Amino acid sequence: MKKISCLASGIALAAVASMAQAGDVRISVTEYSSKTGPYFQKMAKQFEEANPDIKINVEVTPWDVMLQKLTTDIAGNANADLAIIGTRWLLDFVEQDIAEPLDGYIDDEFRGRFIETFLSPSVMDDKIYGLPVAASARAMYYNKSLFEQAGIDAPPETWDELKEDAKKISDLGDGIAGYGLQGKEIETDVYFYYPMWSYGGNILNDDGTSGFGSEAAIQAATMYKSLIDEGLTQDGPTAYSREDVQNLFKQGKVGMMISAPFLANQIKEEAPDLQYGITAIPAGPDGDRGTYGVTDSIIMFGNSENKDEAWKFLDYLFTQEPRSEFTLGEGFLPVNKAVSEEPAFTENEDLKAFAKVLPDARFAPVVNGWEEIADVASSALQRVYLGQATPEEALSRAAEEANRILGK
Amino acid sequence: MSEGTAPNAAPVPTGAVPRRRHRQGRAVPYLLILPAFLLAALIILWPLATITNISLHDVNRFGQLRGFSGMANFSELWRDPDFIATLWRTLIWTVGVVGGTLILSVPIALVLNRDFHGRALARVIIMLPWSVSVTMTAVVWRWALNGESGMLNSALRAGGVTDTNIVWLASAATAFPIQIGIGILVSIPFTVTVFLAGLSSVPEDIYEAASLEGASDWQQLRTITLPMLRPFITLAVVLNVIYVFNSFPIIWVLTQGGPANTTDILVTYLYKLAFRFGQMGQAAGVSIIMFAILMAFTLLYVRLVAKNEAQS
Repeated sequence: MKKISCLASGIALAAVASMAQAGDVRISVTEYSSKTGPYFQKMAKQFEEANPDIKINVEVTPWDVMLQKLTTDIAGNANADLAIIGTRWLLDFVEQDIAEPLDGYIDDEFRGRFIETFLSPSVMDDKIYGLPVAASARAMYYNKSLFEQAGIDAPPETWDELKEDAKKISDLGDGIAGYGLQGKEIETDVYFYYPMWSYGGNILNDDGTSGFGSEAAIQAATMYKSLIDEGLTQDGPTAYSREDVQNLFKQGKVGMMISAPFLANQIKEEAPDLQYGITAIPAGPDGDRGTYGVTDSIIMFGNSENKDEAWKFLDYLFTQEPRSEFTLGEGFLPVNKAVSEEPAFTENEDLKAFAKVLPDARFAPVVNGWEEIADVASSALQRVYLGQATPEEALSRAAEEANRILGK
Repeated sequence: MSEGTAPNAAPVPTGAVPRRRHRQGRAVPYLLILPAFLLAALIILWPLATITNISLHDVNRFGQLRGFSGMANFSELWRDPDFIATLWRTLIWTVGVVGGTLILSVPIALVLNRDFHGRALARVIIMLPWSVSVTMTAVVWRWALNGESGMLNSALRAGGVTDTNIVWLASAATAFPIQIGIGILVSIPFTVTVFLAGLSSVPEDIYEAASLEGASDWQQLRTITLPMLRPFITLAVVLNVIYVFNSFPIIWVLTQGGPANTTDILVTYLYKLAFRFGQMGQAAGVSIIMFAILMAFTLLYVRLVAKNEAQS
């Protein structure tokens, strides 16, 4: 008797649970800053007012553990309807049939809202699997006061000029280094791709094999190593993550570094007196240059039971006003054409500098095992920076490793 | 224990009642530990079975099984030079931290066991690192070890030890010994507590008797204190080895196993495999190998100690 009533209440509970789910949309968002959670709560509330039959549940997760959370959710079949992911993870989501193609919902008007550069990384096999929610690129920050003290009147145009300028700045003494070189943790490899791209190299060759062993890659690593050996970077770059180098820049201890738009926001809050400028990443001898573009995308899960409701919310999120508020609040680049034409963006010197480098933006290659390949590159570079291997040795070994991961 | 009552003996009418009571009595202990056993099985055996299953399959990054692959994940690991190097480094890490902790904890416990002015304060200071989360300790050390603006370099320069900044975390040669040192620091409070408990169980009159017989302090330490502490040392070794072998935060916060994997231990390597590279199958393989190593160590060590004790 007891068993039966237990069972009955269990069924009732399940019924209640599934009833509560109809019309509910769960969205997992990453926490870019303390403003992210409140922003999405506000959007959910505004959307619910206009659509009383749909309820939005927002889950905020810190960036570092987002992939881990999604992995666990998906393995347990307990994922949300929508989620923000790094676009470089998208391939896995698509190959495993986890992400839903959105083409059925997207019309020309909707597609036209986006700046094509930022939408393209979310397109695979001619299908749109994600909508870019956050976009960023990298450019070079330089300390104007240090440049003035060293008698340099303009930021360097090429890597050769950068080396000369770095020397002049390092000669100022007082523990000041010309160029801040990142050698630890996330994007250590990217910091090396900048000169590699300038020298005409690529992460992947045209045939899909790794480009780490190329002449351009070796040239770039050799150039970085010479900066270290001649004392033009901070001491021991392998101890410095991007945040550590940014801290040095904010303290006025390095003359130049390459970073994302959010550094400008941080400088305004933490070091308002710092005189800095933003310029393009130096070019190579043939005028080549590249910057790293990064987008995060919102995806819809294939197993969502409320796809239409979820789409309605997406449609709302990607209208001008919500986009404008998000992009300004977080310090990202606009992905929405109308937003990019707002005065807040067109009159912002920092963002203008980033908008200018966008045509050179390159995104992480869409290949299986990309995170592992990036780690192989980072490790190889650390060996070069530490002097444990020559650029040729380290990079040709990295290319072999990368090719093994690529199955080439 | 059954006192000769063979279970299949023919029932004697008069003896039936007491025998049943006896049999019931035998089942009671098992019944009593059954809930705990089921709970333990649920939280230990079930994940172990799941992980074993994952390690024998081709698995996608979302933990979904994609077909049986036999030992492929394990053979992939053995082929990886980073894994082999990490295995050895984990050994150095564990022996270094546990050995260092024991060598330091015995004298600290002996001193703290004496009655002296300010003992309470000294005990608090020694125990303090325990009250701070290991991750937080590691974060503070990361700041202190910063090459440019770290406390350690400022202190060394102010003390005239060096006149240039040392970038401690730039290479494994300086980073790994420091990580072992921090590991020792955070393991001492627990170990000292265990030893203090051991020391307080040594009756005072043994020492009095020994003193009367003319035993020196050193002789008392060697022949009374250390033998009496032996079971506590065993306990401290086993628990510390298990804990240190699996310890993640110090290495992850300070170097994430870098530069170039030169400070990785198995658990940081496992984390990268699973959550960065999405190699769930190989990561599960590393888990199984770690479990096997710890299991083998614990069984061997406890047996060895038990044998020694039986001999002495």
